[in-house]
Amino acid sequence: MEFIRTALNLLFGANPELRQIIGVTLRMSMFSTLISALLGIPIGVWVGGNEFKLKGWVTRLMNTLMGIPPVVGGLVVYLLLSRSGPLGSLKLLYTVTAMVIAQVILITPIIASMTANVVSIRANSIRETCHGLGIGNHQRMRLMLAEFRVPFISIVLAGFGRAIAEVGAIQMVGGNIQFKTRVMTTAIMMQSNMGHFELAVALGVVLLLISFAINSFVYRLQKGWQRV
Amino acid sequence: MYSIKDVRVVYGSQLILSIDELLFESAKKYGIIGENGSGKTTLLKVISQWLVPTHGNVTGFNKVDVGYMPQKPFIFSISVLNNVLIALEGVSDAEQRAFSALEKVGLNGLAKRRADRLSGGEMQRLSLARMIAKPRQVLLLDEPSSATDIRGTDQIEKILDAYCAETRCTLIMTTHSPAQALRMVDEVIYLEDGQMVEHGPADQVIRHTDNPKTLAFLQHWHI
Repeated sequence: MEFIRTALNLLFGANPELRQIIGVTLRMSMFSTLISALLGIPIGVWVGGNEFKLKGWVTRLMNTLMGIPPVVGGLVVYLLLSRSGPLGSLKLLYTVTAMVIAQVILITPIIASMTANVVSIRANSIRETCHGLGIGNHQRMRLMLAEFRVPFISIVLAGFGRAIAEVGAIQMVGGNIQFKTRVMTTAIMMQSNMGHFELAVALGVVLLLISFAINSFVYRLQKGWQRV
Repeated sequence: MYSIKDVRVVYGSQLILSIDELLFESAKKYGIIGENGSGKTTLLKVISQWLVPTHGNVTGFNKVDVGYMPQKPFIFSISVLNNVLIALEGVSDAEQRAFSALEKVGLNGLAKRRADRLSGGEMQRLSLARMIAKPRQVLLLDEPSSATDIRGTDQIEKILDAYCAETRCTLIMTTHSPAQALRMVDEVIYLEDGQMVEHGPADQVIRHTDNPKTLAFLQHWHI
């Protein structure tokens, strides 16, 4: 039970490095989830809510991208942002921004694909009703976004879960630099590699507690929306 | 005048609907009757242009304001009032019209309630309110009272009668009940296996037909 005491000490103690790691973890996870949601939900609503010629191909592509290995996503971003890469002049490698870019590449297909699946179940009925009422495409899209707001929260939460737990891609493009790009997962991996298992487990508990707190907040929000 | 000509709907290798010619006059009420699977809903979907026929033409309906209510219309999980307002986007006195439509269907007391928590009959009346919230030249309704009890059916029939008299719209509705067709419409179209068996004045088709197929269908009903 020593690791629990260590976890509580870490969480409520005055460790500046840990506070910085938690800050970077939350900033990176929240930003990447927000950007992925802003991209993925409209894409998912469009793909799931419409019938078009290449729908089968687009759906298969999204499902394939859902399972993209994090190191492959990280490698793509690394090659793009490295000094000799096409975006090397931006000097983003080993920054939180690079980590967010890698996360967005990994999470957007997950959010888009899950959204498309949720929307497609009732899309035909909604489209037929909207057609009958003379409702145009833009208004229909808005109605669908509002209609599926509750399942969308769960989808965004799944995306956040993936973001906060990610390690491979962000290690590659962030470099796990102390007081700069080190996050909970890369810190846990580093402590494990150094043989500091007690500290690694304690960091894991802290990560779980943060995730639990965020999930509890969103759960209450979701329940509130269901009641309205 | 609206028409459909040489319309064929084929799913896979199965012919679902085959109508050579059907004409609809403005401001008249039409009832499409027939057994389940006879092609009533398919015909209405073709007229509403929700379904593009495999072959044939539908003319006239695209030039006017057509309202089409499917058999199971989608009710959005927003308030009852907002469900009507979505059909009135861009209309200046939208809220007033929405309340008026809700009053006509007897749902004005539930305007603020979440629409997806209404009963089946109430949802059907709400769908009707969305249809009649503004004047339309053609109203296409797929079994508009299928989820209501006798009182609800009577209420819906009265609402539609009043709306058609007020707007002089063309009403085309499907119903499985010849009795309802007799009460509500001017002309009846009887479908069987996707083919039009008979088309004529409601009283003629339902009370005085000598067509053996129509008679066979009507014998199950005590009219």
